[in-house]
Amino acid sequence: MIEVLALCKRYGDFPAVTDLSFSAQPGEVLGLVGPNGAGKTTTLRCLAGIIPATSGGIRIAGHDLTKDPVAAKRALAFFSDEPRLFDYLTVRQHLNFVARVYGVAAHEAIAQPLLAELEIADKADELPGALSRGMKQKLAIACGLLHGPSVMFFDEPLTGLDPLGIRRMKDSILKRARAGATIVLSSHLLHLLEEVCSHVLILKQGRKIAHGTLAEVSAQFSNGETNVSLEEIFIRATGGSEN
Amino acid sequence: MLGALLYLRLTSLQNLLLSRVRRLKQPKYLIGAIVGVGWFYLTFLRRFYTSRAAPGGLPGMTLPPIDLTATLATFGALALLLIATFAWALPNDKPGLAFTEAEAAFLFPAPISRRSLVHFKVLGAQLRILFSALIFTLISSRWSFLSGHAVTHAIGWWVVLSAINLHLTGAALTISRLVEGGVSVARRRTIVAGVVGLAAALTLWMTWRHAPAFTVQDGAGPGTFFVYGAQQVDTGLLHWLLVPGKLLVAPFLAVGARDFFSALGPALLLLGAHYVWVVRIETSFEEASIALAEKRAARVAQIRSGTYRLGADKPKARREPFRLRSPGRPELAFLWKNLLSTRPYFHWRVWAGCAVTILAAVPWIVRQPDLKPVAIFICGGAAFLSAYTLLLGPQLARQDLRSDLAHSDILKTYPLAGWQIVLGGLLTPAAILTGLLWLALLAAACALDPRIVPLPWLTPGVRLSAGLSLALLAPPLCVLQLLVPNAAALVFPAWFQATRQRGGGIDLMGQRVIFGLGQMLTMVLALLPAVLVAGVVIFITQWLIGLPAAVVLATLTVIVILAGEIWCGLWWLGDRFEKLDLSAELRP
Repeated sequence: MIEVLALCKRYGDFPAVTDLSFSAQPGEVLGLVGPNGAGKTTTLRCLAGIIPATSGGIRIAGHDLTKDPVAAKRALAFFSDEPRLFDYLTVRQHLNFVARVYGVAAHEAIAQPLLAELEIADKADELPGALSRGMKQKLAIACGLLHGPSVMFFDEPLTGLDPLGIRRMKDSILKRARAGATIVLSSHLLHLLEEVCSHVLILKQGRKIAHGTLAEVSAQFSNGETNVSLEEIFIRATGGSEN
Repeated sequence: MLGALLYLRLTSLQNLLLSRVRRLKQPKYLIGAIVGVGWFYLTFLRRFYTSRAAPGGLPGMTLPPIDLTATLATFGALALLLIATFAWALPNDKPGLAFTEAEAAFLFPAPISRRSLVHFKVLGAQLRILFSALIFTLISSRWSFLSGHAVTHAIGWWVVLSAINLHLTGAALTISRLVEGGVSVARRRTIVAGVVGLAAALTLWMTWRHAPAFTVQDGAGPGTFFVYGAQQVDTGLLHWLLVPGKLLVAPFLAVGARDFFSALGPALLLLGAHYVWVVRIETSFEEASIALAEKRAARVAQIRSGTYRLGADKPKARREPFRLRSPGRPELAFLWKNLLSTRPYFHWRVWAGCAVTILAAVPWIVRQPDLKPVAIFICGGAAFLSAYTLLLGPQLARQDLRSDLAHSDILKTYPLAGWQIVLGGLLTPAAILTGLLWLALLAAACALDPRIVPLPWLTPGVRLSAGLSLALLAPPLCVLQLLVPNAAALVFPAWFQATRQRGGGIDLMGQRVIFGLGQMLTMVLALLPAVLVAGVVIFITQWLIGLPAAVVLATLTVIVILAGEIWCGLWWLGDRFEKLDLSAELRP
């Protein structure tokens, strides 16, 4: 699970995230939404321990990310919008490397079904240069899932995927959530988030505007109307502008 | 139309210069510019004036000017011939003209004739050529064996560089036309390789048959050897192939004004012929040029992200350098990964083959009285390679955090302490540099025989202990050397990112100078305690246990001190890496 308490992140004088507190439980899929520059990516990068928070506390699977980052990171996986792969490592060698870094014993037994599930088993000896964008993303996902993380962060996971890829990514996220993983994902594709997320956190200018289940947030901004879409909620919550 | 294209060039240049001036508001560029100007003055301009005022001569290079001019003309022409050969043999199936992606996007659909586009490229290159000629003139002003005047050298460089540019352009266009006519790459390469190979074979054969043996005489220096080499090259068919090149380098090598003007005419005629050749070729180069532009843009992106490797082909899947079992030390995973990203010849099998070759060949050479100069050359070469590897190696072997910074967001999600990531990153370049150092030490140890270097104190015991001591010192020295640029990348990431740009003006040159000086200063400070302690240990113990044992004891002491410094460095850099906030550091 994830616990965030009064998280602040400043770039010099610029407050990217201010006093953000929330928690996410196992099996929960939390959608992080907000206009451009709202602090979504910064929040995700702070939660994944990629960039240090200026102040505030973050606990990942019970481990304090500041005091015990190694234990916290052992429990999480971060998936960036653009798959960042090593040019000179094949698919199989990527998994081999990640297994050693995360200390995954007998990783072949985990890697093979994972590659099969992601439909890249036949590309195991290919370099990233020979893979399509979708396949690169699958490889990045396989690397992230190899150590069985209980917390996952997805930054714009649907970017650049074709309709079939989007469907599979959604299924994969829901499958991990059903298995008990805590998932946080950011995306601008609100109608797709609506299908995947159980909870939503709306940010604007680095501050929390709303947080709760879809129904709770909907009730907060629906003004008594029924069947209000997440897109409409988003526009009402953020005032329809970046500022 | 050419006016519009000229406007594009000049406006771009003006804006480039303005942006360079504007960025001097940032301290890192201003300080870099000041240091760069100072370095440029001290390295080139000051020497330029002093060398003009007081010409000197290198030992062994004080030959009559006319002799050396002919030698330089031959080697200069040979270099041009090699460039021309590569221009015809190496390009792929469709070599295009070098346009940027923006130029291709704007100019190719525009109502501009192909000939205008070729003119644009040829004339546009002149700005770069003029600047290069100026820089090369400053560099060549340090060549004390060169006659002539700075002005004739500048014009000479311009002729040579313009000829190279025109020939490369002409070759690219002609090959495009040949491809259109159905001549395959293999056929073209066979023809070029056949002609060049025939010329080289004929020259070798004639040299073998007729050339007198080269004998080392007292007082003879490298100049004598170069003159001999040039005479042997300038024979047979190769003599005729070298004629155009000799014409082109003649103005640069002219001794006086009369020589210069008489050499300038034929060179300009040749240049004019090249120009006519280039602008009269009618061929479609657009498609290949777009492909080339995309390739160049990808290369620029790689340079900016720090993943560019000089001369690297498309990556190929390779066998693993060693079996990576899991679980195990995670630092070794970085060694394994980074070894996979280096050249295939950085492999222990290749290293072992080199070591065996050295062990077999060098002692044999030492035993041959006739090959004494070769043995001396091996000693000198090994010493040079060692110094080069230790001092400049860390700038070239960058398979560490410097190249992995692009992946820092991924690295930071790994469940590893910062020092583990830093150590893992350092292992690959340290292993490569240590391997090279060990080979050089092995060659030097084999060649430093009393028959070659008659020093009474250089007993077999001292040779062995000194060789082993240096071999033991190599790994910690390499790691220490590598810690400095990695520290620079982590402590000053914004400066480090700036220095990764190619070219970039005198301010970036100054930044690189600052980094270089910082590296040297840090190393001196790091080595000072170890060297002092080693000196004391040898001084005290050599009377008790003998020089060889004292050297070994001092080495062990030095290793302990260096290991302590490395541990401190790793711990500190690891802490820096954990706290590194690239998103903040690299914000514009």
